[in-house]
Amino acid sequence: MSKTSVIKIGGSLVSESAYSNVINDLKESGLKDFIIVHGGGNEVTKYSKALGKDVVFVTSPEGIRSRYTDLETAAIYNMVMRKISSDLVLSLNARGFRAIGLSGIDAGLMKAERKKRLIIVDERGRKRAIEGGYTGKVKEVDSDLLLKIIGLGITPVISPVALGYDGEMLNVDGDRAASAVASALNAERLIVFTNVDGVIINGRVKERMNLKEAREVLKAVGPGMDKKLIACIEAVEGGAKEGVIASGKVERPINNAINGLRTVVEGQ
Amino acid sequence: MKAKCKECGADIEVPDDALPGEIVSCPDCGLEYEVVSITHGKVELKLAEDVGEDWGE
Repeated sequence: MSKTSVIKIGGSLVSESAYSNVINDLKESGLKDFIIVHGGGNEVTKYSKALGKDVVFVTSPEGIRSRYTDLETAAIYNMVMRKISSDLVLSLNARGFRAIGLSGIDAGLMKAERKKRLIIVDERGRKRAIEGGYTGKVKEVDSDLLLKIIGLGITPVISPVALGYDGEMLNVDGDRAASAVASALNAERLIVFTNVDGVIINGRVKERMNLKEAREVLKAVGPGMDKKLIACIEAVEGGAKEGVIASGKVERPINNAINGLRTVVEGQ
Repeated sequence: MKAKCKECGADIEVPDDALPGEIVSCPDCGLEYEVVSITHGKVELKLAEDVGEDWGE
């Protein structure tokens, strides 16, 4: 088990540049070994529209809506993710950290299997298989490389862009990418920041769950939160000590994610 | 249009306006098939791939 914390900064925080609280608190909390994985789907949509590129979303039979990533969208996606990464690196470095922006394609840090086909619900409400575009599922993370970078006192900021096995660039889900990183490092914890206090069941934040309980509530949580919960479950199953879902909008987000009101998914 | 399930032999009903890629399932065993082509009222099916949920940002 490494002492590393993997911190996922979700798209809702990136869009509002609300992550400064998180970065300020990283300094305050004294957390040393950490890796940031960011999202930013909303920003990709914003820039795609600005560039005149139609944004197409498809819906899975499970009701999850996702961006359809064709080759042009993949290029825009990569550009926007690099920008978000640079903004985070600037922000970290301005506070005395030594951060470096990386994506999965750099030195093959994160490899993913491309989804060659997707099953969607089409406009007639029927299930259909379509060409998969450039999305994938993370299969490998180079944990040695990450540990060496951390060992140099440098903080990796990882974009959810992966290297496909045919050498292509792939859009991967940021929550699941963070989970894969936390698993590969047997991390101390995965913290998934979002804009709510945690997993809310019957109007209250569920503060602790084991893996079985977390799987049981998966269907009861709303869209978006289910992906975060799955990320925590997979991180713990993959070797991380705990997965935490917490608000990035509170005054001291890191301290709160470790000691305050949040949801913790832990092993048995 | 009808097709036979390769697994259990049951009749699978395929809508007349089905499009290539459409997923149909066997009413008896639940196995899912993808429509490959429809030519002169004859439908060709193949087993649908199991595609998990994880489609990127």
